[in-house]
Amino acid sequence: MDASQISQVTEMMYALRNPAGIPTYPIIFIGLGVLTFALHILFVQLMLGTSAITLYGAFSQNFYWRRLGAAMLEIAKVSVSVAIVVGVAPLLFVQVVYDPHWYTSNVLSAQWVIGFIVILILAYWAMYFYYFRNSKNADKTVQPKSRWSMVVSLVLMLIVGFIMHSLTSAILHPELWKEWYIQNGVVDYSGSKLHAYNIWRFAFFISMAIPVTGGMLVTYRRFKSVREDADHDYLNWAAELGKKWIKIGSVISAILYVAWMMTIPETAGDFATSFWGIAGGIAVLLYAPWAMWRLKGEARICSYMALPVALVIGLVVAISREMLRYGILNDFFHYNFLDYKVVMDWYSTGLFFLTFAIVGGVVLSYFLTIAWKTGQTVGVYTPSAAVDRLGTISIWIVALWIVQFFVVGFYIWAR
Amino acid sequence: MDLISLYPTWYEPTVGSGWVVALIATFHVLASHTSVGAALLFAYLSNKAYREDRDDLLDFVKKYGLFLLVFTYVAGSITGPGIWYSTTVASPNGIGALIHSFVWKWATEWVFFVIEVVGVYMIVYLVGRVDKKTHMKISVIFGMASLATMLIIVGILSFMMLPGKEAWFEEGGYLNGFYGTNTFIQMGMRMAFMFTMTAVVGGIVVAGIKDPAFKKEMARKLGWLGIVSTLIGAALFQWYLKSVPDQALLVMENRLPDYFVPSIVAVLSGTLAYFIITMIQPKTLVAGFAGFMSVTILVAGLWPEETARESMRKPWVAGQYVYSNQVIGRDVPGMGIQSQLPLLEKVGILKAHPFTPPELKKVNDHNMIQAGQFIAMVYCSNCHSPSKTGIRPLHRYFPDNITRERMEKYVKGVLTSGNIAYMPKMPMLDSEVKALSAYLLMNKKGGQPAVAEAIKQEVDARNRALAEKQAQDKVAALTIPQEEK
Repeated sequence: MDASQISQVTEMMYALRNPAGIPTYPIIFIGLGVLTFALHILFVQLMLGTSAITLYGAFSQNFYWRRLGAAMLEIAKVSVSVAIVVGVAPLLFVQVVYDPHWYTSNVLSAQWVIGFIVILILAYWAMYFYYFRNSKNADKTVQPKSRWSMVVSLVLMLIVGFIMHSLTSAILHPELWKEWYIQNGVVDYSGSKLHAYNIWRFAFFISMAIPVTGGMLVTYRRFKSVREDADHDYLNWAAELGKKWIKIGSVISAILYVAWMMTIPETAGDFATSFWGIAGGIAVLLYAPWAMWRLKGEARICSYMALPVALVIGLVVAISREMLRYGILNDFFHYNFLDYKVVMDWYSTGLFFLTFAIVGGVVLSYFLTIAWKTGQTVGVYTPSAAVDRLGTISIWIVALWIVQFFVVGFYIWAR
Repeated sequence: MDLISLYPTWYEPTVGSGWVVALIATFHVLASHTSVGAALLFAYLSNKAYREDRDDLLDFVKKYGLFLLVFTYVAGSITGPGIWYSTTVASPNGIGALIHSFVWKWATEWVFFVIEVVGVYMIVYLVGRVDKKTHMKISVIFGMASLATMLIIVGILSFMMLPGKEAWFEEGGYLNGFYGTNTFIQMGMRMAFMFTMTAVVGGIVVAGIKDPAFKKEMARKLGWLGIVSTLIGAALFQWYLKSVPDQALLVMENRLPDYFVPSIVAVLSGTLAYFIITMIQPKTLVAGFAGFMSVTILVAGLWPEETARESMRKPWVAGQYVYSNQVIGRDVPGMGIQSQLPLLEKVGILKAHPFTPPELKKVNDHNMIQAGQFIAMVYCSNCHSPSKTGIRPLHRYFPDNITRERMEKYVKGVLTSGNIAYMPKMPMLDSEVKALSAYLLMNKKGGQPAVAEAIKQEVDARNRALAEKQAQDKVAALTIPQEEK
């Protein structure tokens, strides 16, 4: 591309920006986007990995595998929900500073965007169908019914993953947007095609399901081992399987990461050999030695660290991914998200961070404490006075939030 | 810079992109309103179960919760972002306007959304696993968090109709845009109707209760909830109509389909009758009946209501400054936003659109239909489908015997000047008026096949001309060196 063509692309991207501007500094949206993407992709990978175990368990004759399959189905169900709900945040933040890119890539593949919604619902319902067909069966070692529905669920999940991957990839090619829209001289209004993909990048993010789910299995053993009715042989078997998945999975993912870096667009320049280009792959690879070093024997504390470590690795990869996008769009196409027009709104900015920290922090602490303790208790769990008080505080905090909503609202209304 | 913020256009020929949004939105409204109403109902029932030490109420919460988890939380949590997705592809500047003004409000809603999703699993799966007091506390938090999600989204929905305060246009600011008369009335109306939906959908679960006494108790509880909320909702709807701009009422009177009012009245009356029957005779409350009522509310109540809300905003799609065709049609000094109409009047839509093909930037005899179609897609297709079916098809708006002169007169005299109250002003150069008129005429007379054929001929002719020019250039390039020799 010559300078004039690049300049036209730059001009187009800036023209597409929303004239309303954004209510705080753009770097904050990018930071939150990276953080929430790391969380989102962790749960996506958990969802895929635990679904794969459920599926393998369903077709296996091994009783341990069948039990593990049934247990992982519970995690898969919740992981889908959490992946969706957490995924809302990066979806929100990307369209704040990269609206020209996100909206264009979506419109050009509109049918797939709409298909994404339908396919995801079907995938989730297929998983629930499998669950309801087998949930009443107390013996988790018998062969499950309707295994096909779990196959359908997993395949559909991979399809929605690919759609999202393609939309994200299209962002990186503003030079091709017009070419995609105008094919052989005729404008294509149908949005019927997925235009961009990098199979290595997609395979890398999917493959991360292996080590991440390995981390989940190690955590599962540790969490369940304190129960009075724990079957230690089975749990140890699951943990060993998890360690193996971390070690082998990290190597596979690191190889795929390298393949991705070798196939990034030319417009990315020498990103693959830059600090962040290398850091992502190193972080992934380091999960294997960490597991070998820290997960020996009982590993009572480090077993609980397996998933947080996976999250940190995911965060490094998320930063690399964001730097790649910035490298292409800023360094090559001169679109700098940092110069987005800011129309500062302190109230809504402050209200979000206070809600996030105080309401989210306190309530989720209470919820997760209850869920954690209940999972480790045989029979009915009754919280301690301190946990109970945390529940009361949570109620008051949410109630106060609602009160402030109306107090501020009526004041503004009456003003 | 002569470009404005216009994206490519997605054209869905069968039902139209607007109806795709409406379909997803309607389904989401049923799922989300039912969920929020049920969350508050659970808080009440769980509290009662704790005070009166009753296991049957918690069992009901578990069953209804599981039902909701599968049918409304799964579908609701996906169709929620699904509305973003569908509006992104159908109306990118509409959703962009909302996102850029209310990103933090949506982010705040997301915090409550996370609490809600974690909460629903706890409500369902911890019945019998934690003591009743703890379950009650979880239910209360869950109920309030669900309510908070609705409070937040209603402010954003209200902004779509009009900013909370008129001062927003001059001063900007999230608070001025969010809070207003319309916001609070709509909030009350939606809360009322969400309880109606909760009561109807909850009937599906009550139908499965085996114990006649308990079934009667729950049928009565839901019945009263449904009757009171339906009556309050209907009253608030009347009040709501007084809070919308005159323009919206004008559209409502003139543009809404004939079935709108009878449909709403029938569904409200039918819903009340359903509650009264099931309260008097709980035996009649079977899953099929409750399921039928849920579908009736969806099809005959929510669908007209959502499409009406969509239509009433015309010609705007967000905040009374973004037209339904994505053009910014008004200055908003408070946000530093300038109307795009002056630029369009000066350079025309083809030059100002970032995605206009280079060969269509200037209209000539060899690209007339293609340029006309491009303009129609940008300016018209959001509200009028160029196909035979779909949303308010274009061809229905012109008489069979219309001539090119009359069409041009209409486009120039009515569309470019914005003389129809519920349609945007659509500035065009004279050459663009000719192109759009030629396209509209061909679309009217020969439909999409004729348009496709004409465009094919234009493209072929252009390609032939290009090939001839390239050949001539080649010959010239070969000739010059020979002459030099």
